[in-house]
Amino acid sequence: MVLEQDRLIETIDMPINMGPQHPSTHGVFRMVLLISGEKVVDVVPHIGYMHRGGEKLMEAMDYRQGIGYADRTEYLAQFSAELCYVSAVERLMEIQVPERAEYIRVILTELNRLTSHFMFMGAFGIDAGLFGTSFTYAFPQREYIQELFEEVSGDRLMYAYFRVGGLAWDVTDNFVERCHEVLKHSQEGIRDIDDLMTTNEIFMARCQGIGAFTAEQAIAYGLSGPMLRASGVPFDLRKDEPYSIYDRFSFEVPVGNYGDVYDRYLVRLEEMRQSVSIVEQALEQMPKDGPVVAEKLPRRLRTPPAEVYAKVEAPRGEWGVYLVSKGGDKPYRLKMRSPSFCNLSGLREMTVGQFLADAVVILGSMDIVLCDVDR
Amino acid sequence: MTMLLAAPAIDIDQPFLNAILALIAITLVMTVAVMYATWYERKIVARMQYRLGPTRTGPFGLLQPIADTFKLLTKEDLRPATADFVAFEVAVFAIFVPAFLAFVAVPFTANWFVSALPLSLIYLLAVSGLSFIGFLMAGWGSDSKYALLGGMRAAAQLISYEIPLILAVIGVVMVTGSADVYTIILWQDKVPLIVWQPLGFLIFLIASVAEVERPPFDIPTGESEVAGGVFIEYSGIRWSMFQLTSYVNMYVFALLGAFIFLGGWEWPFGTDWGWGWQLVLTTAKMALFVVFYLWIRASMPRMRVDQLMSYAWKVLIPFALVQIFLNGLVIVYDLPDIALLVTSGIATAVFCWLAYAVVRRGGRRRELQMVPVRGSGRPAAVLAQATEGSTA
Amino acid sequence: MLGILKSMATTARVALTRKPVTIQYPEVHRNIANRDRAFPILIWDEEHDEPFCTGCHACERACPVECMTVVMKDNPKHATGESKRRKIIDEFWIDYGRCMRCNICVEVCNFEAIGMNNTWAGHELSRYDRSELVMDLDMLLSQSKQGKVEPGLRA
Repeated sequence: MVLEQDRLIETIDMPINMGPQHPSTHGVFRMVLLISGEKVVDVVPHIGYMHRGGEKLMEAMDYRQGIGYADRTEYLAQFSAELCYVSAVERLMEIQVPERAEYIRVILTELNRLTSHFMFMGAFGIDAGLFGTSFTYAFPQREYIQELFEEVSGDRLMYAYFRVGGLAWDVTDNFVERCHEVLKHSQEGIRDIDDLMTTNEIFMARCQGIGAFTAEQAIAYGLSGPMLRASGVPFDLRKDEPYSIYDRFSFEVPVGNYGDVYDRYLVRLEEMRQSVSIVEQALEQMPKDGPVVAEKLPRRLRTPPAEVYAKVEAPRGEWGVYLVSKGGDKPYRLKMRSPSFCNLSGLREMTVGQFLADAVVILGSMDIVLCDVDR
Repeated sequence: MTMLLAAPAIDIDQPFLNAILALIAITLVMTVAVMYATWYERKIVARMQYRLGPTRTGPFGLLQPIADTFKLLTKEDLRPATADFVAFEVAVFAIFVPAFLAFVAVPFTANWFVSALPLSLIYLLAVSGLSFIGFLMAGWGSDSKYALLGGMRAAAQLISYEIPLILAVIGVVMVTGSADVYTIILWQDKVPLIVWQPLGFLIFLIASVAEVERPPFDIPTGESEVAGGVFIEYSGIRWSMFQLTSYVNMYVFALLGAFIFLGGWEWPFGTDWGWGWQLVLTTAKMALFVVFYLWIRASMPRMRVDQLMSYAWKVLIPFALVQIFLNGLVIVYDLPDIALLVTSGIATAVFCWLAYAVVRRGGRRRELQMVPVRGSGRPAAVLAQATEGSTA
Repeated sequence: MLGILKSMATTARVALTRKPVTIQYPEVHRNIANRDRAFPILIWDEEHDEPFCTGCHACERACPVECMTVVMKDNPKHATGESKRRKIIDEFWIDYGRCMRCNICVEVCNFEAIGMNNTWAGHELSRYDRSELVMDLDMLLSQSKQGKVEPGLRA
């Protein structure tokens, strides 16, 4: 029985702004949520706060100078971006990279996947409401890996280590032992985070059933990486279109069943373990010495007038470089296919109908890197 | 009987002056204690997180709360232009004052208390339940959407979790036959009440965490999308009053739990050992509770509001009623005490098992499908190089 | 319920058995690697008592962010026969605020005159004003003149 007074009360949906400054660690991203009580009715994301004209800048850089820019675009999975960029040029110039360089590239890229996923675990715990414990468990492990990277390449975050035709210089003498040490720490870290979060009932209640995407929806929105695999599509570039020397390693690709936030978390956790296994295999198979730069490399790298699309499986998805060259040593047009941008396109569909508190968790589960979204 | 036992330690003839002095002593001591609660919270939670807490301000960071107080005192006192004046200003006091009012009826040792109320348990629970009005006022008066959301959620949470709290305490009242904290403590001279009422203890523990709004139940103050909730528009000393209130509440409930479930200052030594030991016992038991609160703060994510509500109404209240029912059975049919122990123990086990089945959706731990990728291993050329490098 | 107890056991274990990983900077500086790439500095030639740098502009051209300004001059020591370098650096500015520490200037240098600072002094460069981050020749040579630096990697 509806009272007469009730029919005259007008309710409006409340717009809430989750502004460019987030307490979470995702970067400058703005979301305008329209909520009705506790449920989200509409989401309007605003991006572009971090656009720096990266692709245009790359047109003025030759193929050695541009590596630093690729780093800075995907600043959490730098080696994936560098690998993609240099493989695009190598494919155009048909350069054969020596074996040792390939192995070192794979080792460093997989260790970088570990750092990126550790970062995700830390930030995701905070989004779910853990006071900061997951963050402080993940970051020391990340530090150990970054110290190794500093010993090898010289920098802790912006490595600029890969070059067209191989690496800039050879790794240190104790590289293999250091890698084993680092892997031990990483396994301990993965166990800690697993103990802390995975079976925690409150965490499961926060994450299960939230933001679910079916396989068809995931493919329709162009998702890639762990988000696609969590929705049940067993597609991994390292398995289906192997690049570099990934066809030499045996590993497993985790695929989820429900496509919700919890599955994405589990997929990333499992990927970390698989990365550890790949690094161990690569360390075993790696030749003890050999050149790290391709021989007969011209001093000025000139690409023939052609175009190429190279892609790698970055921790976030498929990171691609579409390179158009008109001869000369600088690209004519360089487009970076960013996985975070494509993953973000599904935000509205995932969030509408969920609770307000879930919007933060869903955004966290996408693991976006704003520099990549905005380039 | 309680009046006969009550011989206040400060021996001044005028009872009014006596009470005033005791109040001042309590207020000062509790304020400093609460300031230092922030210190050891930061240290303990930091240790759980691989890091040190404050170390630079004074030895071991002991002067950190003082530094914080100075900073907050000298901060600019912001007030939104469109805030409702009365609601905004009075909200702070509406939250702060009831917390301190609770200390009037708390007996720290056998002789140290401000006033011996014959119904002190009811007084304590009533007074600590007053603060939700302050949250509503802060939420409404701040004229901010986040504050409004936080205020609504705070009110809902506080009211919902009052009920299991009170029901758990009613179980204690039924067993001991008195609603006076002093008498309950004396009743426990042989065995603390946690033995007879484990289920009640658990429910009290969980509901008290929700009442003081600590994680994992800190929706009003931590969420509203990680932005501070009800306290968004407050700055400087007002905000610090809110924070201190949170710790004072924590102390009140820790003390209450220590008294009615763990035996207070009576168990195991009794009143024969003098006020020094009694104080040590009280503090130790209170510290156990406080460490537990800090521990779960560092370990658990926040619950979502609807999950919080369903947990209170669908899990805690039924089990609290079960405990009362069992108490009633034992008392009415005059069963031996051990029956209460056994039945309560079974009910506790069932509670623990059932606890999250209501809240959790989707079932147990998930398995992922793993798609294997067979690598081709080392090619021969690389194998030759690898072994050659090792022999060379 | 068990999952929550497991989380609590994990935090308790870390609290009781693991040491905090905090390094008390600035009393304790951690060891930085030999190859660490802080900002570029110029190297002083002890034998000839002049910088290695001849001002050939190679690094200035190769820099992706154009953070260097180089001016060369005729070497007075060449006229007297003390040194083989015909030209020597006259003025050299690097804007540390623009430098992206990519190491390309070190790679293209023909004379091994520039290197990346791999000491803590290269990292502790806070200034109150951006214009103070532009380093001139004396500042760039100062660490090497005092013999305090051994650049790690010369590619």
